[in-house]
Amino acid sequence: VSYRRRASPLHAARAASACAFCLALALAALVLSSPLVLGALLVAVLAAGTGARVGRELRRALLYAVPLALLIAAINALVTRDGLTVIWRFGNLPLLGETDVTLEATVYGAVLGLKAVILILTGALYTLAVDPDRVLALFRRVSFRSALTATLATRMVPVLLHDSRRFGEAMRCRPGRPPTRVQILRATTTSVFDRALDVAAALEVRGYGAARRPARTVRPWSRHDLAFALSGAVIGAGAVCLRASGLAPFSAYPSLHGPVTPAAALSAAALLAAAILPFLDRRGIGA
Amino acid sequence: VSLRGRTALTTLVALAAAAVLAGCGLGAGHGAAGVTVTVTKDFGAGPVGTATESKVPGSETVMRTLERTFHVTTRYGGGFVQSIDGLTGSAEHDWFYYVNGVQAAKGAATTPVHSGDSIWWDFHDWRATETIPAVVGAFPEPFVHGIGGKRYPTTLECASGVQTACTTVANAFAGAGVAAATQFFGTGSGTDSLNVLVAPWGTLRSALVADLLEHGPSISGIYAKFGGPGGRELELLNPSGHAVKALGAGAGLLAATADNSGTPTWLVTGTDAAGVAAAARALRPGILRHRFAVAVQGGMVYPLPLEPAQ
Repeated sequence: VSYRRRASPLHAARAASACAFCLALALAALVLSSPLVLGALLVAVLAAGTGARVGRELRRALLYAVPLALLIAAINALVTRDGLTVIWRFGNLPLLGETDVTLEATVYGAVLGLKAVILILTGALYTLAVDPDRVLALFRRVSFRSALTATLATRMVPVLLHDSRRFGEAMRCRPGRPPTRVQILRATTTSVFDRALDVAAALEVRGYGAARRPARTVRPWSRHDLAFALSGAVIGAGAVCLRASGLAPFSAYPSLHGPVTPAAALSAAALLAAAILPFLDRRGIGA
Repeated sequence: VSLRGRTALTTLVALAAAAVLAGCGLGAGHGAAGVTVTVTKDFGAGPVGTATESKVPGSETVMRTLERTFHVTTRYGGGFVQSIDGLTGSAEHDWFYYVNGVQAAKGAATTPVHSGDSIWWDFHDWRATETIPAVVGAFPEPFVHGIGGKRYPTTLECASGVQTACTTVANAFAGAGVAAATQFFGTGSGTDSLNVLVAPWGTLRSALVADLLEHGPSISGIYAKFGGPGGRELELLNPSGHAVKALGAGAGLLAATADNSGTPTWLVTGTDAAGVAAAARALRPGILRHRFAVAVQGGMVYPLPLEPAQ
């Protein structure tokens, strides 16, 4: 999972707008707990991934996220003592003591798992669709050297991935058993300091150490920049307002309370629409 | 069926058998009936609420019973009560609960509820002690429904010279439907019975349980101490553990305590025979309701610990 330039509105948007969009989705997942709204957010993230042409990669991330979500749900059901409706008695378990699984703890664990899935997918969307160099460029006027260091550090990851592929291919060409992942990892990590030294020496020669604070560059806002910035603002502010107003209520303990009110349904639909609308405008994007 | 299939089948059957033996099961299981939950503050002085559940579901715990009626917030994953109806625990005050007048050894979320249990939550000052092993405010519990669903035989040990008080106590138990076996004072009854000692302090102090009382509320959980020559003075303590009033001749004490391992022992004692008789007369549910312990003298009943205004 790494950034690659693709023909999509999210890729075309400036880094600040794209970051705001992803951050707003993550914020909404963190502050809201209504399963209806979280479900809408999950659909929104998956739709955003499809719109950004990284749907396949997001589905692959989903394969890692779903087992984690199930684990979170299972742990919450086993360790939380809250909830009034017992659905399974485990008796006296070692370490856990008297353990009853309640419907409320199970549902709340599922909600936590759903939040984790949305956060993971949002993180994956950010990684796949937002250029890390442009993100760091946002901070270069604040601290040039820190931004440069962070850029190099993030650039090291794809470099090491490339190295590992080369090592793997080279080792497979040798006679005998094919190399294990641990062997390739060992070969890659032992060369990491050499690679870092190479990069540092190259920078020294090119005079990066003497660089000054860059001048402010003014770039006009495109329609995609505006669309994603507006979408992020609507999702973020909408999530905070929903939380504060209690329009999408949900509480798990001591008993489940999460009525599907018209306001909650409307809010979920509005968040979904706000996340999808910027992707509909594909003018200037290409095929 | 292949060898691998048979192994998997055997493993599944073994797991299912282990689960059944460990007490696993689908659903809540069999319920209980006639459970009372009382919530008070300041050692029973301020009522917060009471609820009686004629029927509770299976696998019910003290925590769940509380949550069904009161607004409860919890901490540590629902293991401990943080607040009830807005009363929040702090460094000096916190929530404590007693089932049938006995402080439970486990958290409320893991203490099961049994038929007839009387659950009492109290929000009080715990600077003097955080452990009050037993209280008298649930009388005639724990003598009727027992402790942890197990009923215990009741033994009544009466000292010589307090026969009237002994008869009063025996009648109080009979009135509550509890059969109490009377035996000589000092005979001892072991840890598998509920023991009631009826004796003046001068005689009682030789008993092991009196040692707890002499160490003060931090050990016994009783906010009273006998002092003066021959134990002729009863000092009443406030919630901080300081003596705020002293009663002389004719003072009685009705309290319950326990050591770490045993069932609670009830004490019907006093500075003299008249004090023991006064304490015995106080053994009535109406007088003891929501009291941790009481001191009596000349018709006056002092709930313990004693607030300065009392």
